[in-house]
Amino acid sequence: MKRNHTKKNSCTGMLVLGAGTALLASTLLWTAPLMAYDYSFSGESTTLLRMRTTVDKKSLLPLYDYLRLTMTDIRSDGSSVDFYLGAWGRTDLVDKIGDKTADGDLQYAYLTYRAPKNNSTVSVGRQFITEGVATERIDGLYLRNDFAYGIGASAYVGNTVLTQPLATGTSSSYQAGTVVYGGRISQENKKYYTVGLSALKSKYDGGDVFREETGIDLWVHPVEKVDLGGHSNYNYLTKGWMEHSYYLSYAPVSTVRLGTEYANVNLKDYLANVTTSALTYLNPVLKANKSQDVIGATAAYTGIKNVTLTADLKRYNYDQSGQAFSYGGKAVYSLPDDYSVGCTLHRMDGGADLLRYMEYRAFATKKIGHYDVTIDATDVTYDKQQIGITDSFAVTGAVGYEVNHKLKLAADVEYSQSPEFSNEYRGLVKATYTFDTKHVAEGGTKSEK
Amino acid sequence: MRNKLAIVLTLLLMVVLYSCANTNSIPRVHPENVGHAIPDCTECHTNSWGALNHRAPDFMGKHRFYAGTARQTCRSCHQEDFCTECHTRKDEFKPSEKLSDEPLRTLPHRGDYLSQHKIDGRINPVSCVKCHGRQNNERCALCHH
Repeated sequence: MKRNHTKKNSCTGMLVLGAGTALLASTLLWTAPLMAYDYSFSGESTTLLRMRTTVDKKSLLPLYDYLRLTMTDIRSDGSSVDFYLGAWGRTDLVDKIGDKTADGDLQYAYLTYRAPKNNSTVSVGRQFITEGVATERIDGLYLRNDFAYGIGASAYVGNTVLTQPLATGTSSSYQAGTVVYGGRISQENKKYYTVGLSALKSKYDGGDVFREETGIDLWVHPVEKVDLGGHSNYNYLTKGWMEHSYYLSYAPVSTVRLGTEYANVNLKDYLANVTTSALTYLNPVLKANKSQDVIGATAAYTGIKNVTLTADLKRYNYDQSGQAFSYGGKAVYSLPDDYSVGCTLHRMDGGADLLRYMEYRAFATKKIGHYDVTIDATDVTYDKQQIGITDSFAVTGAVGYEVNHKLKLAADVEYSQSPEFSNEYRGLVKATYTFDTKHVAEGGTKSEK
Repeated sequence: MRNKLAIVLTLLLMVVLYSCANTNSIPRVHPENVGHAIPDCTECHTNSWGALNHRAPDFMGKHRFYAGTARQTCRSCHQEDFCTECHTRKDEFKPSEKLSDEPLRTLPHRGDYLSQHKIDGRINPVSCVKCHGRQNNERCALCHH
């Protein structure tokens, strides 16, 4: 019964949210001329047709459309009101992918007001919140403002956006909370540091707490070429630290960048409130280790024109499973808007058979007039056979044609061999159409994407 | 009574701090067109903004920290759909499938990820929970009931 209520509420909520936000946006934007200084409307529609045959010989030919819309009203006082919407839909032209021949989702739809001073922001609708300990998608309200002495504050409240109701037979322990709220307070000196304190709480309909977490975050740049940051998050329900994760970057000269990272994760605390059995701490594979430490380092050299060389190393350390090392490098030669070519090579050395392999990747892309051609190949070679093979291979070839600055057509074919599929081909045809009512309203082709 | 007093004092303090604040908002659109190439912020910025250099090899690993502390900075160049190309929900495409013509971008799940996810899930399950675990579980639920 609870599952059905969740589904019904979710659908009704989505409809009300979408209709309400669209109505509010329309009202604000289309009745705005009296006070508006500048407004524009832009969007992009990407239609994709995917072709593949399943192992049971079903021909799948789903047709997708991804739509994004942006409506912007920039006012004479420098403030702005924007409405953003992103959604996708699918219909199956031949065999069904799952239970339904059509599906879709509203990914985001929110109205936001931004003031010219103090980074004052008010957003309402379906949105993605990233504030300290929170990385949440909510149907709700978000507020943010700067105060004196470098103090900033943000707050949010709304319904948790569930991607699916509980599957039949799923343990109720995988049920997510329905309401989430929290905020972050920060203090900064723009030249040297930012420090923040954040909190998040999520509750079920009945009032029981699903998640209660708090975090501290830090971003320090004491001198020009040094950048230090990270966060520590605490789980009040399990009464333990979820993670401590920090990095340090240093650029001794303009052509060399060095970086290092450290993360300590207590899996029992970090994975306490997930809603899939794959990642719960009750999963025996994950339960074997109470904590993991990750230490990593990277180095990059850009001293040769158009060439970037990087090397990286990571060491994973577990309570029970011992250590695993990942190390390798990448070389890229790139002439923007002309052609790029690159390759990567990585070695994983761990205690289990699955964790001993080489990974290779090579890619090239070239623009020829209105055409662009791309080839991208990835190969993983295991030290020991995995389900009868030692090699997992995938190569993709793609061709695009720019009909004009608004319409682009593309097609690609992927061939793969893996432990799961012996010979698999997939095809994709793509048409992208962009449109806007005032192309240069904000100073040329806006770099935002 | 003491709680009410604390709330009133906090509100008063916020009003005073709000009244004294006078910072300029981060521009909603980056003043210079940085084009479509991956930008090197240090070409212009010698201050803390230079840390956001997208060509740094560790930028992808660090971008979550920047997004968690200064999302409005990201919004000067990126609209919401840029984030949702990877941080999606209930999507049926891998990012590398939708963006197969952009091999320079660091995108998750390239190649045969059906095999690779068993490795990544064991070696660093925390990396999965950044996008899965509490949402975007549809693909997981096909096998993991």
